[in-house]
Amino acid sequence: MHRVSRPNLSGVLINAAALVLVLSYALPYIYLLMTSIKPAADVQQIPPSFFPAVISFENFREVLQSSTLPKAFINSLTVAVLTTALSLMVAVPAAYVATQYRRRITTFFLLFALVTRMVPSVSLGVPLFQLLKSMGLLDTLPGLVLAHTSAAVPLALLLMSAFFEGVPKELEEAARMDGCTRFEAFRKIILPIMTGGIAVTALFTFITSWNEFLYALLLTSESTKTAPIVIAEYNSVYGLAWGAMTAAAVLYSLPVIIVTLALQKQIVGGLTFGAVKG
Amino acid sequence: MNRLLSASALALVFMAASARAETINVLVEGGGEMLQKAVAEKFTAETGLEVKFTVVPYQGVFDKFSAEIASGSSAFDVVTIDVVWNAKFAKHVEDLSALFTDAVRADLPPALLADAKVGDKLIGMPTWANAEIVFYRKDLFDKPEEKEAFQAKYGYPLAPPKTWQQWRDIAKFFTRDTDSDGKVDFWGTDTIGTFSEEWMAHVLQAGSPGVILDKDGKVIIDNEAHKKALEFYIAPHCTDHSVPENVNEIGWGEAQNLFYQGKTAMMKFWAHAYKMTPEDSKVSGKVGVAPMLAGDAGIAAIPGPWYNVVPSTSQHKDAAKKFIAFAIANNALGIEAPLGLAATNSAYSSYASKPGYEHFTPLLETLGAPATQGRPINEKYQEIVDEAVLPAVQQALTCKADVGEVLTEAKETIEDILD
Repeated sequence: MHRVSRPNLSGVLINAAALVLVLSYALPYIYLLMTSIKPAADVQQIPPSFFPAVISFENFREVLQSSTLPKAFINSLTVAVLTTALSLMVAVPAAYVATQYRRRITTFFLLFALVTRMVPSVSLGVPLFQLLKSMGLLDTLPGLVLAHTSAAVPLALLLMSAFFEGVPKELEEAARMDGCTRFEAFRKIILPIMTGGIAVTALFTFITSWNEFLYALLLTSESTKTAPIVIAEYNSVYGLAWGAMTAAAVLYSLPVIIVTLALQKQIVGGLTFGAVKG
Repeated sequence: MNRLLSASALALVFMAASARAETINVLVEGGGEMLQKAVAEKFTAETGLEVKFTVVPYQGVFDKFSAEIASGSSAFDVVTIDVVWNAKFAKHVEDLSALFTDAVRADLPPALLADAKVGDKLIGMPTWANAEIVFYRKDLFDKPEEKEAFQAKYGYPLAPPKTWQQWRDIAKFFTRDTDSDGKVDFWGTDTIGTFSEEWMAHVLQAGSPGVILDKDGKVIIDNEAHKKALEFYIAPHCTDHSVPENVNEIGWGEAQNLFYQGKTAMMKFWAHAYKMTPEDSKVSGKVGVAPMLAGDAGIAAIPGPWYNVVPSTSQHKDAAKKFIAFAIANNALGIEAPLGLAATNSAYSSYASKPGYEHFTPLLETLGAPATQGRPINEKYQEIVDEAVLPAVQQALTCKADVGEVLTEAKETIEDILD
């Protein structure tokens, strides 16, 4: 009897610990969700209440009736998708070469990618502003895509390098012996087994662009601004529209949650890629 | 024929370029666009010049304009800036003195005119202005039993407070435990511990020649008026216990919500909140307003104006100035916007007798009061507030520190910042 109950108890404890951990991550989001369904007058109650006394969707109605937010959502989506695609096109082959054909220059290349992540983005804002202005790309979506890509590529490069480290060199060699060119080996053999890693990298790149605020603020104006800017506008000098802001934030988080759930299998596979190697 | 076609094409290109040149780009904060939209539409209808707004969050105006200045170019012809940035941007904007005609000057509260001046330049035209006034629960103040009880306790009639003493008495009177559970759940008022502007208003009411700095830039935060004002500011919390205890967590939003949720009987707050009282709020239809409190120097407040400035890098300066002149001449057009604010006396007066705009009379009286004046026009203003002023107020609100010592310490910090 005793033997049977022990594993159950440890299972319960593990589940309880996991639940506490998940809640600690999820609590701010749950609070955001709860706030978004409170009536405007109850949003900033003192003392604050976690659950709404009355459920109201007026905040969502206000947000959906906004003239600027839908356009900003489309801008955000366009920029994030293009940034992700462009970043992957650059970072995936670059990371493969950097990890599989190690030279001093490739090591330096990866190190340099790491260094660019250390530079505060605020210090790059003005140079990027001048650069895009001189290229005639200021206040355009392609301009913002380029700016976001400049921030996302180093991240994608580092992530993909870590994934490619787990790929044995022999795979490419075997493919070449079977008559593939280097590019064919990369495209037909290596890439298919890297879908998990690419999915993880794509997701992180997408989120980097999706949530980016500073470049979007500096490099866009009315017709090209993204949703984080519009959401921040709910915090005006004459008041903070908490209800509308949280409703907009909930709506804005949905695509990322949906994409994450859709790619869950690949992401878990990608995150554990190489974990049991050897 | 080919020549004619080429010439026509060239003319079309030129006309298109000219048409683009006639668009005035305005950088503005969210609420500010709504306040200027009606005037922009009328301006376009009358002049043919297009006005295009770029709306960004509050801090975004500062960041975006700063980036434009740093890059040496500007996509904007007009930027609507908060008064606290006037000193910072003064070197990078046009002198608008020519737009300040005698008629314009006469129609502006003096404090707004003074804040527009940086050095010898009038750097911006007021677009809208706000000030703190007194909000009170009309329903409670009108109750016969409350009137009777107040008269019996304090020896004078219950009425909207005008003086510091009345404010404290009324706040104490209304602080109570409404559900008899042994805990206070309704307060006379609130004390804001995360911003210092309200205390600054009391400094002026106490008769200080300026707030924090005098006209020559000398630090005067330790003068008698600053001290008296700080003692008054902390009294409802430290002595009377007529405010919620968590003063250092109370900012503008929290103070406003306490009032809207029917948990305080009075608040000093920016006038626009009167029009913005939510319909589903517990106090909707029960709010009364009065001018800001008076001290030894009379009524005084810290105005919160925004200014339209023309960046020196603008390619359409003349058109921009034309728009600014038009906007101030038609200043009342912004009042129908949700924030319902304007800058000129005539704009406010034109609505003061209309239902729903009862707050305009006390606002005008407060903005035009002789002791009302702006915050120091200093590039390091925000640093001074963050590093010295707000910490001093918060330290005083612990109720353990000596107010004089706190202000002396703040003075030293400010002198260090200015040096």
